[in-house]
Amino acid sequence: MHLEPFEYEKPNSLVELEALLSKHADEARLLAGGTDLLVLVKEKILSPKMIIDIGDVAALQGITADPAKGLTILAGTKVSTIEHSAEVKEFAPALSFAAAQLGSSQVRHMATMAGNVCHGSPSAETSPVLLAHGAVLTIAKAGGERELPISDFWLAYRKTALAPGEYLKAFTLPALPKNAAVEYAFKGLRGAMEIDMVNVGVYLELEEDLETVKEVRIGMGAVGPIPYRAVKAEAELKGMKVDDAFFAKAGELAAAEATPIDDVRATADYRKKLMSVLTRRAFSAAFARIKGE
Amino acid sequence: MSDRKFSVIGTDQVRKEAPDKARGEAIYADDIRLPRMLHGRIKRSDYAHARIISIDTSAAEALPGVKAVVVGSEAPQKYGIVPQAPTETAMAIDKVRYHGEPVAAVAATDPDIAEKALDLIEVEYEPLPVYVNTHDAIAEGAVALHEDNKYGNIAYQARQEFGEVDKAFEESHLVIEKTYKTSYVNHVFMEPHSAVARFDDNGDLRMWSSTQVPHYLHTMLSKVMDMPMAKIHVTVPNVGGGFGGKGEASNNELIAALLSRKARRPVKVIYSRREVFLQHRGRHPIEMKVKMGVDKEGYITAIDYDGLMDGGAYGAWGIIILFYTAAMLHLPYKVKNVRFFGRRIYTNKPTCGPMRGLGGVQPRFALESMMDELAIKLGMSPYELKLKNAIDKKHVTVSGVHVRHSEYKKCLEEVVSESGYLDKHGKLPFGKGVGLAGGYYISGTAYTLYMSYKPHSTALIRLDSESGVTLQCGATDIGQGSNMVLAMMCAEKLGLPYESIHVISGDTKNAPFDLGSFASRVTVAAGSAVCEAADKLIEQILPIAGVALGCRADQLAVGNGEIYSIYEKEIRMPFWDAVEKYIAAHGPLSATGSYTPPRRTGDFKGGNVGHSPTYGFTAHVAEVDVDTETGEVKVVNYNEAGDCGQPINPLSVEGQVEGSIVMAMGQALYEEIKMTPDGRLMNPNLHDYKVPTMRDIPNIKTLAVESYDEDSPFGAKEAGEGPIQPTIPAILNAIYDAIGVRFTEMPVTPEKVLAALAAKGQE
Amino acid sequence: MKKIITLNINGDDYDLAIKPTDFLVDIVRDTVGLTGTKKGCNIGDCGACTVLVDGRPILSCLTLAMSVVGKKIKTIEGVADGPELDPVQQAFIDKGAIQCGFCTPGMILSTTALLERNPAPTEEEIKHGLAGNICRCTGYVKIIDAVKHAAVLKTKEGTDVR
Repeated sequence: MHLEPFEYEKPNSLVELEALLSKHADEARLLAGGTDLLVLVKEKILSPKMIIDIGDVAALQGITADPAKGLTILAGTKVSTIEHSAEVKEFAPALSFAAAQLGSSQVRHMATMAGNVCHGSPSAETSPVLLAHGAVLTIAKAGGERELPISDFWLAYRKTALAPGEYLKAFTLPALPKNAAVEYAFKGLRGAMEIDMVNVGVYLELEEDLETVKEVRIGMGAVGPIPYRAVKAEAELKGMKVDDAFFAKAGELAAAEATPIDDVRATADYRKKLMSVLTRRAFSAAFARIKGE
Repeated sequence: MSDRKFSVIGTDQVRKEAPDKARGEAIYADDIRLPRMLHGRIKRSDYAHARIISIDTSAAEALPGVKAVVVGSEAPQKYGIVPQAPTETAMAIDKVRYHGEPVAAVAATDPDIAEKALDLIEVEYEPLPVYVNTHDAIAEGAVALHEDNKYGNIAYQARQEFGEVDKAFEESHLVIEKTYKTSYVNHVFMEPHSAVARFDDNGDLRMWSSTQVPHYLHTMLSKVMDMPMAKIHVTVPNVGGGFGGKGEASNNELIAALLSRKARRPVKVIYSRREVFLQHRGRHPIEMKVKMGVDKEGYITAIDYDGLMDGGAYGAWGIIILFYTAAMLHLPYKVKNVRFFGRRIYTNKPTCGPMRGLGGVQPRFALESMMDELAIKLGMSPYELKLKNAIDKKHVTVSGVHVRHSEYKKCLEEVVSESGYLDKHGKLPFGKGVGLAGGYYISGTAYTLYMSYKPHSTALIRLDSESGVTLQCGATDIGQGSNMVLAMMCAEKLGLPYESIHVISGDTKNAPFDLGSFASRVTVAAGSAVCEAADKLIEQILPIAGVALGCRADQLAVGNGEIYSIYEKEIRMPFWDAVEKYIAAHGPLSATGSYTPPRRTGDFKGGNVGHSPTYGFTAHVAEVDVDTETGEVKVVNYNEAGDCGQPINPLSVEGQVEGSIVMAMGQALYEEIKMTPDGRLMNPNLHDYKVPTMRDIPNIKTLAVESYDEDSPFGAKEAGEGPIQPTIPAILNAIYDAIGVRFTEMPVTPEKVLAALAAKGQE
Repeated sequence: MKKIITLNINGDDYDLAIKPTDFLVDIVRDTVGLTGTKKGCNIGDCGACTVLVDGRPILSCLTLAMSVVGKKIKTIEGVADGPELDPVQQAFIDKGAIQCGFCTPGMILSTTALLERNPAPTEEEIKHGLAGNICRCTGYVKIIDAVKHAAVLKTKEGTDVR
């Protein structure tokens, strides 16, 4: 198929990667799995001048769990590795689940979570879970690193906070306090290979009484130009007693904060309804998980 | 079937080509490469309806590597599967009628160069109003897509009436009238259309293509290329599925031939997935106004059907499908009074055409939904109503269609008992439900698509002591397994192992004539031809064996590779010894067989359509779970009981039935081509056009009811298109049972379910 | 523009002149001539082009040929070890899981990768692992049967070797 030519580079180390990035900041695109980027290239939506393949950068591979710091997932880690990782299953089971729902087995073996997040697709599977976890991103470039809460990462439709020359290096999911859980819920039309109509990740933390909400986060996908948190809902839900009314209220508030559009996959109206149901169910599941049910 | 003892028929034989397919060594059209072969690509229109003012190909021609450029005016001959009413040309000439219609094509040494050249072709258009729905297309003052069409954008229309419909409605106990709409769906066979064309120095054209109908492609190539048929040779390699979508010539085949002739080099033209959606020929969306009445006992009194078919831009199989929708009203139930009115409309969309179970799926959806509704209104089980009305073993419809063999009642009885339908229907908790539906299909047609009295299938079997058994038949294996079916029949007849039969098929020169793989015709038609040829061979060999064994020929039989006396066990000889003796004495040993279906017709317009030698029947029960909060429908269990006569290969029958069910489930729940108002496809890809994945399928159980059609080869009937008929209404009837909402449109997306539940709550 | 690279496909090294824009599926099919890898959609939606790279199932239509230098690529042609069919292939044949055969190479490679990770998958696990391979002929029922059967054959084979 006829594509505009691009150059291909495959650095072996972070130093090489950073050098390439600083030299070709404007024209280069990072290739992690290719399942988003190369589709866009093939459909001629993107025509980068250079593709920098990070597949051989060993320093970007790996998952570590630390009881104090939490879970760190390096950016080059494949989604399938996340899906099957014992550490992720233990410390962030909702992320393991969300990873398992992404695309197909082939896509999961190719794609990285960083690619899923950096492409900024509003319906990306892992984004709502990362929002719910309050994940912190390590963003690096030649000569420096910075940290950014994931909720500040997406700026507009497919636009991120990455400056020219920067790349996403790692995700850190802070260790869950006790009496807390994250859940993920999603809905596509069919059972796999889907671009979700709606997805949502919720974080619920209870007081010692196991019935008062101490902290709550709601990460919503496919209901706006970017994945984002339902901050107003979160504020309102804090301090409430957890019961069926709370679950229902959480759903209503999340739906109220959703700003979806009509597209080929679903109407805005349906997406709002779905957001309400899924959020309610996710909170209910999170509560059950905390209670060990 | 205790008195019928078969050694090959009815066994799960393995397809001979399966190992090659499993190894990746099976050759499909896109796997062919020839010396000096060029790659063709197609320039497609940017408008859904426009006049072509000019086409400038000079810059494309000047691009290094480009060896030929062709435009529509170079092949002005119109073609169509129905030759009396051709509407299409290889590429658009004066106007384009859908977005993405071919307007020019390029052959180059490399596909990249060909694609680059397409961008250099300048086409100037004068846009015309675009019609993406039937009502707009036939509104007062609409611009005709085809200026030479007599009735504006009504491509065809027809009326049929049998019995006294109005009177029957007046006398009915209960009458329902409703409008149903079906969706715009594509076959989504996995292999995109692929063709390779080559001209030799004798001016002969050779084509390898992924077609279901080498014969019809042959006729259309002859017409478009303006060449005698004898100078064209079509060969079908392995085909990656068709389901009707490869059931007539496609643009890529004609364009490959045109480019090859112009460049004097072989040319391959393959489609991208988007182009498959543009070539389309998928199922017609139909808006059906249907009225049905029953008497107090639930017997159907009358059916009145008014269908508006969205045909897309060209004629294609349209008129045939129009009349099939008419024919489908008459079976599998006894209906005495039937009125049909149908119109097929031209719109600015990729053309609709034949898709698995053509003509039946849409009316079946309406009728089976209606019968469910009528039964429930009568306080009767839908099963009871359907069984009461089901045809008997033999039946003649009021339209004159003869059914020589039916076990439809058995299908209903067995599917209901297997699925536990009676224990579940109306008794499951809210959100869960079961639905019953039945259906049938033809096993071949009574007529060719053009006027002709030749046999529809022919077979030639050669027995040769060197090369064994060679069975030549033009029937085309597109993945459905026809080569296996024919070889099994041949093996059974000759008393030889299945493995020893070598089949040459899907070729217009190396195999004798066959119409092609459509209308579920091959098992009965080509099978009959094979059986006749094999019988003739036996007739020739037995006298020779009789002389050798000193025994009357009419007391001999074949089996297990031997010829033996049916009375005395010790009188026997190897089959191949007899063949050798025959050849020594008489020369080559071969025989031909042919099949011409019984010709019946009705004395009314469309009266030729719907007649088939025999019919397959099937009944389904779907069980669904509806998530009443999200609207999601999951088909959890699925039972089918089918009458396909004697299954030749039970494993293959199951494969056909299971594939049919899942394909129809996709249409019921997910699949739909969406369009913008200006006629562009919004989802010509497999991520937004959603066919079921492995994760979506229900727990499927199929069974073949005891059945044997005495007049069919080995009692067999179709199994590839009947089983797609009842799936949609079975699922939708189950949804009604689950949530009390009757859907009259598909796909039944979660969104529609939720909206309907909300509307119901407000009532 | 073009570079000479070496790809290891089915255990053999191929020296190939390729451009950065070349995708693995096209190189495997057109340059190397291993046409068993099929192209059903070209943008990663159908799974027909699945090959294994270092044992992982990937979509060769979304993989740049240059990105798999130094890796072990296995296409359908490399599944059978010589004249003997692989148990997965045999299971697909015996269970009637092959109709038109166009999805078959991808299905077999996805199955191979699945059974490598999980030698005795449940039906749910099979569906999860193979959901990225679209088949339009079979309705998947016979394919699931074949995968289950392949798991049994492979386990037996393993036992024999030990």
